[in-house]
Amino acid sequence: MTTNLSPLSLFRIWFSLGLQSFGGGSATRYLIWQAAVERYGWISDEEFTRFWAMCQLTPGINLLALTTLIGWRLAGLAGVLVSLFGLLFPSITITMLITALYAYIRNSSLVQHALQGIVPATVGMGLIMVWRMFDPLWREGRRDGQAGMGATVAVVLLSIGLMTLHLLPVFGILIGMGVVYGIFQWLLHRRSTTP
Amino acid sequence: MDLFTFLLYLLKSSFLSTGGTGNLPILYADLVPHGWATERQFAEALAIGQVTPGPTGLWVISFGYLVAHLPGGLLAALAISLPPFVVLGILWLYNRIERHPAVRGFVRGLGLAVIGISLVTLLDILRSSGVDLRSLLIVGAALALALTNRAPVIVILGLAAIVGILVY
Repeated sequence: MTTNLSPLSLFRIWFSLGLQSFGGGSATRYLIWQAAVERYGWISDEEFTRFWAMCQLTPGINLLALTTLIGWRLAGLAGVLVSLFGLLFPSITITMLITALYAYIRNSSLVQHALQGIVPATVGMGLIMVWRMFDPLWREGRRDGQAGMGATVAVVLLSIGLMTLHLLPVFGILIGMGVVYGIFQWLLHRRSTTP
Repeated sequence: MDLFTFLLYLLKSSFLSTGGTGNLPILYADLVPHGWATERQFAEALAIGQVTPGPTGLWVISFGYLVAHLPGGLLAALAISLPPFVVLGILWLYNRIERHPAVRGFVRGLGLAVIGISLVTLLDILRSSGVDLRSLLIVGAALALALTNRAPVIVILGLAAIVGILVY
């Protein structure tokens, strides 16, 4: 365990993680794992896995929740603030600079035409992101057998329907589907535990 | 829309979603119908968020900047920095409450709803830029390239930009 880690060196470690983390979420997660578990031995492998599970239940960006937990383990609230700031400062600055540059040229006709190609490509990659979110949920559902698989597909289709028909605000759909699946899971659990 | 209202919507989307792009459909539904943001700004911010360092969730920084310049970007930064603190509460609860099946089901239902909502939102974004044979082919090609896990995102977007310039 590192007990005498100065705030500045902690900041420097997270800063370099933030700077290197090109390539999206899983690349960043790997970098954080490598630093926290392998290189510095701040936490164990099991702890990392448990932390990651807690991050799935946390609102917002999971990787920032992971950063928060590791920072907390290292140095309490000060550790959280230094770690979050260190990770976010370089990536936020670069994102702002690139956006500012883009905003400057966004109305040129060349950019307009390029966007006609980029937008559908973003949609294509977005579909893969949706698939990656769906895959673990589908596997969990399959563990509950036919009822689980049916409920999983039904809830997705129901939210598509509600969204298309504008029957409920997005927030309402989220909470509604949470309640529906919560009740389903509870009933399933009761049926399987009562003889 | 004033900056304070913008911050409230950013916070709402950030606290009510999980994952990098889970906040997108919520912001989309809140801002686009009022004309406070355009489909195009969402697509642009998503593309920029893919090529910059950091978690994918930083797309919203770019979005904030496109909607309200530097103050917008800074408000977005504030909005994504607060929800992670909730995890400290979860850590505290971890050993105190049993993992009730209804709670786990609720979380799973939220995730499934995000999937349905994201699909509808993605199709909206595609529709706003025009659906024709060319754009559908680009969707398919980008999807296939990304599935191989070999082409970096920036290469896929670069190719798409060149194709866009050539065919439109």
